[in-house]
Amino acid sequence: MSAARVYVCSTGCVSSAGTGVAALAQALADPAWRPRLGIERPDAPSLPVATCREFSTRDVLPPLVARRLDRPARLLAVAAREALHPLGDPLPWPRDRVGVCAGTWNAGTSALLEVLRAVFLASPEEAPPAQFPSTVANAPASQLGILEKLGGPNLTFAEKQVGGLRALAEACRHLSHGRADLVLAGAVDEAEWLNAEVYDRLRTLRTSSRPGMVLAEGAAVLALACEPGPAPLAVLAGWGSASAPTAPCRYPTDPAPLVLACRQALQRAGLAPAEVGLVLSVANGIPGLADLERRALETLLGTHRPPVVATTDRLGEGAVGGALRALIAALAVAGTVRAAWEPPPHLAAAGFPAAAARTRSALVPGLAGGGSSVALVLTAP
Amino acid sequence: MREAWITGIGLLTALGPDRETTWRRLLAGETGIRQLTLFDTAGYRTHLAAQIDDVALRLAGLPRSPGRHVTRASHFALVAAAEALADADLPASGEGRGWALVVGGGTAGLYEAEGFVERRLRGGARTRGLGELVEVPQDSPADRVAHCLALTGPRITITTACSSSTIAVGTAAELVRDGEVEVALAGGSDALCRLTYAGFNSLHAVDPEPAKPFDRRRKGLSLGEGAALLVIEEADHARRRGVRPYARVLGYGVTNDAFHMTQPEPSGAAWERTVRAAIADAGVALSEVGYINGHGTATEQNDSAECAAYLRVFGARLATVPVSSVKGALGHCLCAAGGIEAAITALAIARATLPPTVGFAEADPACDVDAVPGIGRPGTPDVALSSSFAFGGNSSVLVLGRCA
Repeated sequence: MSAARVYVCSTGCVSSAGTGVAALAQALADPAWRPRLGIERPDAPSLPVATCREFSTRDVLPPLVARRLDRPARLLAVAAREALHPLGDPLPWPRDRVGVCAGTWNAGTSALLEVLRAVFLASPEEAPPAQFPSTVANAPASQLGILEKLGGPNLTFAEKQVGGLRALAEACRHLSHGRADLVLAGAVDEAEWLNAEVYDRLRTLRTSSRPGMVLAEGAAVLALACEPGPAPLAVLAGWGSASAPTAPCRYPTDPAPLVLACRQALQRAGLAPAEVGLVLSVANGIPGLADLERRALETLLGTHRPPVVATTDRLGEGAVGGALRALIAALAVAGTVRAAWEPPPHLAAAGFPAAAARTRSALVPGLAGGGSSVALVLTAP
Repeated sequence: MREAWITGIGLLTALGPDRETTWRRLLAGETGIRQLTLFDTAGYRTHLAAQIDDVALRLAGLPRSPGRHVTRASHFALVAAAEALADADLPASGEGRGWALVVGGGTAGLYEAEGFVERRLRGGARTRGLGELVEVPQDSPADRVAHCLALTGPRITITTACSSSTIAVGTAAELVRDGEVEVALAGGSDALCRLTYAGFNSLHAVDPEPAKPFDRRRKGLSLGEGAALLVIEEADHARRRGVRPYARVLGYGVTNDAFHMTQPEPSGAAWERTVRAAIADAGVALSEVGYINGHGTATEQNDSAECAAYLRVFGARLATVPVSSVKGALGHCLCAAGGIEAAITALAIARATLPPTVGFAEADPACDVDAVPGIGRPGTPDVALSSSFAFGGNSSVLVLGRCA
């Protein structure tokens, strides 16, 4: 089956830079911008999570509606409303033909902790029934579907760091097969101390004495459709996927699957490696991953050295980290944002420059602990 | 047009540690629902589940060892995956072959991690714990299977609660039909844990007795655990190898009712849309459908909405289309349920035998279907549906057919 052409019609996001795409663009334009990090946990020092400190649903969701939603659902709903707004009201498609594809690493953890707190510290009979449905990872996407009355496919992909990129790729597949006319695709992650502590114990979280990743809170939504609409930002032109058989939570050492995923994405987009105009780096602060990415890009691109932007080490890692990179790629090829952030040291040392001019194409590679790779290619419409 | 054939099935359920034992005992009308012993149920409203007792893990012969910290959910997935590959007469190692792995993600390593969470909540930050946290992410069973079987193709974990592995099978078949891969392993694995046991009890969705799907006396579901992995293979690839298929995946449908987080839209109109989408995707006529493996959780709302949907689709002909649920025998295995039911549906087509609805005895006017009571019976459906519904309103339907 030949894939249909899929357009990025609009975007929305909530990140540690603030609520909305404009806040993200403002942060990207400031070379010195850094989020305030930290999430409190009981009986122990805080851990590095790039949280959405100023997030509010005010002016976006009625208070009674917002109260019914847990925080991940509120984050996704606000990002989705921003993406839906430019498409018009009513939407140009029946709502039964509008789907949701969301990636997540950890949605549901807060609710899970509340239920287990009741089970262990009170009694199983005290488990809160209102919280239990929010423990499933697909709760934010489902609640968005209920809120906006969206009857198309409503799917969630829990694949750690590549969940957001997977959701975007799978949205393209469903659009190509005609299951929806519009898909709100992206990711949502929540900030919860238990998650952060798990990765701290696995020694992959950044501390004062150890390099590593920062976890993200937030949501990113790209409105994807086969019809371009009045002002498409970009074309999601290609996607690819491969994996390295690696134990859970460990990163592979072989760059070949990441290279293969990127090649598949470029091939589907009809682009040669030398035509890549921008790379949204996968770098998240973990040293082994940096080396793997450098080798993968050198293998893929040969002597070609397109500009590189690294955002995950600032905005945070997670399914939403990948989706935010795809969103930034869409804005970059649309010419509506220019990232002033430096390329990561491991790629700068290999000759990859910082982003300067508007580009026509962007590569967004992704790699999850456990070895799964997903790559996207976005091009100018 | 490429065809996606089911050429291997691995099953691990409360009725048995493999496909054949599960199938034989299911047809005999036995149930795996009994006293839950995995953890202490004192303080819970109910005490039964379809638990897998013997996890004497048959992991010898895997290309790579899973190591010390493999969780129940990953263990189930590995056992089912190894059985499926052997059944399809494929090598145990996928190295260099690009096979896809598409899995419905459930609670993964949560049962093991709950021990840490309890100690941490009671004891503070000095609580020890590391190994039991490695498989907390929901894609851990997929990662573990891919690692142990050296799988290098696309690896997808879909998390839509109780419809997860139905969509996983549909997605894998689509990857095969689209020519992206020649072989995919697809299905799901889920393990019992205190979170889901307490949660479903808090919703009063669990029957204190074994579940009775479609029955007038039904009072809720019985939770279960298990795994099913299916080998989905491109037809020419299978023909070249001379392997006999169970069934063909003709298509699938997936929609959302956008109604409520835990209750289906009661008229069945939304579920009807899913069935019709699946039928259209499969390119078959409604009149060809000869059997439905229903979601049939045995909750009041699910079973009546589900049967209402089938009535809207099939009208008076529904009386001639048997609808059975395996959840009275195997429990509701949540994110593994759809994969298990797809496997059972494929076996029903291949062996011309319809599985019974164990626990069903008294008809309910709100569920006016032929529920195949008692034991399995002969039936030769050319086309069958496997249907799932999930928290959040997601419904999905697979269309399986007899291979020509």
